[in-house]
Amino acid sequence: MSKQAPQQGRTIRFRIKRCDGPGKPSYWQEFDIVPEKNANIISCLKQIAETPVTVQGEKTTPVVWDSGCLEEVCGACTMVINGGVRQSCTGLIDVLAPNNGDTITLEPMSKFPVVRDLWVDRQRLFHNLERVKAWVPIDNTYSLGAGPKESPDSQATHYKLSECMSCGCCLEACPQFNIEEDESKWDESFIGAHAISQARLFNNHETGKQLKDERLEELSGKGGVGDCGNAQNCVKVCPKEIPLTESIAAMGRATTIHAVKSFFSGKK
Amino acid sequence: MDNDSGFMNRHYFLLRRLHSLSGIVPIGIFLLNHLLTNASIAWGAVNSRGSQHVSAGTIESVGEITARQVGTFQHDVTFINNMPFLILIEVSLWLGIGFHAILGVYYARTGKSNTSRYAYQDNWRYSLQRLTGYIAIFYIFYHVATLRWGWTFLSPTDTPWSHEQAASTFALALKGKVSGISAGGIAVSLFYFIGVTASVYHLANGLWTAAITWGLTVSEAAQRRWGYACAGLGAGLMVLAWSSLIGFLLLDVSSAQKIEHDLHAGHGSMVETEPHAADETQPLAEAR
Repeated sequence: MSKQAPQQGRTIRFRIKRCDGPGKPSYWQEFDIVPEKNANIISCLKQIAETPVTVQGEKTTPVVWDSGCLEEVCGACTMVINGGVRQSCTGLIDVLAPNNGDTITLEPMSKFPVVRDLWVDRQRLFHNLERVKAWVPIDNTYSLGAGPKESPDSQATHYKLSECMSCGCCLEACPQFNIEEDESKWDESFIGAHAISQARLFNNHETGKQLKDERLEELSGKGGVGDCGNAQNCVKVCPKEIPLTESIAAMGRATTIHAVKSFFSGKK
Repeated sequence: MDNDSGFMNRHYFLLRRLHSLSGIVPIGIFLLNHLLTNASIAWGAVNSRGSQHVSAGTIESVGEITARQVGTFQHDVTFINNMPFLILIEVSLWLGIGFHAILGVYYARTGKSNTSRYAYQDNWRYSLQRLTGYIAIFYIFYHVATLRWGWTFLSPTDTPWSHEQAASTFALALKGKVSGISAGGIAVSLFYFIGVTASVYHLANGLWTAAITWGLTVSEAAQRRWGYACAGLGAGLMVLAWSSLIGFLLLDVSSAQKIEHDLHAGHGSMVETEPHAADETQPLAEAR
């Protein structure tokens, strides 16, 4: 390891976009801290919460953020760090701010309504998973027995797709997915790469297939896969490296075939 | 308003796919043909048969190369003008372009460019696709209005385009005066350069994304391979577009007029052997 070790005991600055509550205006505050060894964004936010004093010496409220697993599998701590969306738990300070005086900028995701400071309400993300029925329909009043076999090949494809943690990175980076506070418009707004990819996962799943047509109907309509503009930012920011653009193309193909079939079989 | 959005929603998928298709058929196919025709003003220079209807005297005064260029281009334009039901082809093109443009603007307005935050090459491609679409709308409208519909008040010269003097009247509409180039001509030429470049980009990138939309290229590798093909096609079309522009900008208008006069004089008798009504000042076939 020839890489120079980050300087211990250095002071770094946090520039944080704050907001006191839904609908309230945003404002910026700056905090200087000496990060602990092997610190990440979350541990620094905890340090700030201990002594919430800005660089101007003004005492303020602790910065609010959302987090859960702290190992990049829950997606709750997703925020915009230095202009790019990612999870804050794996945002290591030694990487992001290796030198004395380095600044780290934190903002809440812009595509979801802010609850407070860095904490956003990702309800629409989950609503969009409901739109494509991103589940296996096995609810019943009696045991359905063993399901059909999955081939090793399809298991390999599914495994990658199933790693989606609904964090919202793909939506934050997407130029076609924009904030919509009016819930009545959610069903007609772009559904997003995550839901398209989950529709692909469950449409290829031997039991999930039962809802295939319903998923394809949803993806064919307004706000469906046709609204993708192929900017392909989603696949680049996905922390799980899920092949989202392949899922979009696969669902493009599936909706094409679905439309031809419905045209000739007269369904719908 | 409610009925409009209801119609849009009920036929959302069909309209989306027709929008995608219309960019290729008829618009893309037409652009390919159109650029091939126009590029003959440059590549006609190597067409030895291009000057066969031009008199020896004219060839001597304007040069063999110019005679070939103007002769080849005029031949192509005449061929198109002699196509049966040309007006139907034109109207279907205008409707196709109008449909693609109106829906395209509607779709483009649903997005919000974010290249400043996510400066990936693909993200720039996305934003450029929308920008070039807007440019192409203005450019194609100007192009068709001035040269086809005769809205010459938008032109730096007040002369309309004529399919019988195709090269000289277009060069005049581009450069603004017979010799050299006027200030208005510089503006129009720049607009043509930007407009045609934008149109070619829009087609090449549109072909690439259409393959994803329809689900032809699913894997990343397939998308990359098709990307090379589209880039190659785009580069080829760009060569045609730019060489057309350079060809017309370098064309001497009065020479072109002389050549077209010869061609026009021979126009009544396209069959070589038939003697035509002689034009005293222009000795023709016998001089060849």
